[in-house]
Amino acid sequence: MAELVEIVAASHGPLIVRDWHKVLPAHQQRLTAAFRALGARLSRAKPDALVVVSPDHWINFFIDNLPNVCIGVGEEHEGPPEPFLKDFPWRPVPGHPALANHLYETALYSEFEPSVSHRMTLDHGFCLPLWRMELERLPKIVPLVINALEPPMPRVSRCLAWGKLVAKAVASYPENLRVAVLATGGLSHSIGEPTMGAIDESFDRGCIKAFEDGREKPLVDFLEGGMSAAGNGAHECRNWVVAHGAAGSRGFELVDYLAVPEVYVGCGFAAWNLGAPRSAI
Amino acid sequence: MRDYWLSKFFYDVQGAAAEYRADRAAFMARYPLKPVHKAAILADDVGTLARFVNPYLLRFYFSASGMKDDEFIRRLREAAPAEVGAPHG
Repeated sequence: MAELVEIVAASHGPLIVRDWHKVLPAHQQRLTAAFRALGARLSRAKPDALVVVSPDHWINFFIDNLPNVCIGVGEEHEGPPEPFLKDFPWRPVPGHPALANHLYETALYSEFEPSVSHRMTLDHGFCLPLWRMELERLPKIVPLVINALEPPMPRVSRCLAWGKLVAKAVASYPENLRVAVLATGGLSHSIGEPTMGAIDESFDRGCIKAFEDGREKPLVDFLEGGMSAAGNGAHECRNWVVAHGAAGSRGFELVDYLAVPEVYVGCGFAAWNLGAPRSAI
Repeated sequence: MRDYWLSKFFYDVQGAAAEYRADRAAFMARYPLKPVHKAAILADDVGTLARFVNPYLLRFYFSASGMKDDEFIRRLREAAPAEVGAPHG
């Protein structure tokens, strides 16, 4: 039987790489330390497979075919197409079709209907954190795309259910396998809107507090009520909710949070508690 | 509201920025764009275009076409809220 061995989250703002030279040295230091801390946790956990939860930034999908959830079931995935990620070291990116297909089948038998891709291209949402975490070894990647770009988007409560589904699929996988989850994106930021560049630290702090607390209903209510006002990029908090559900809603440890105006993003880094369950809602 | 062909045009420019910059008119001619959208593209009219495409695609397009972020943001804010004041996401 497979087991979940680590669940973490990191922001993925592309300017963290593209405009790194413009990032203040103090911010560079903290961003680097946060990515490394998560990378160290993942390396210590020695996962065989890593489920990466991210949106697709108009790379695989367009409005002529736009799934709200898609699982990458291929033996391998294409690396990032963004020019600023040309030095991303793992191309093609290895997949884990057995686990991915098991997740797909578990979803269908649990009345979830995701789409699948046998050859997905992984953009900065997937690859920037993987690269910046300086992993000693890249696990086999199972991409899980959650639409956070084009409304209407999955409800936050549904993302929580998706996280629980990931945990269920891992628990029912028939072979020994160490599985980790990485959720990427968020926290507050705004892209292509009049508020572009604005970071809503109040939202971010509230979001972090709700995740730390762990209780599901307050978290869902906070995000459903606040994400839209915190910039369209804040919708990527859905990915963190998937991680939260996978971890059993036990709360998380904040690794760091810093608002980085140079990259337009309230940058958050966290690792979930995988210990004894807290009391429910 | 999304305009399909304007969105498709922006989507395709992402992967062909150099070609687009070299001959904007020829590239645009491949798409059945509405006259108002063509005019807005030629005028770099951020506010008008923002009404018809996803904000990420809007940003990708203007980045690919060579507009600096500072100028893009200035134009977005100049057009808000009347033209680009739609809710986030």
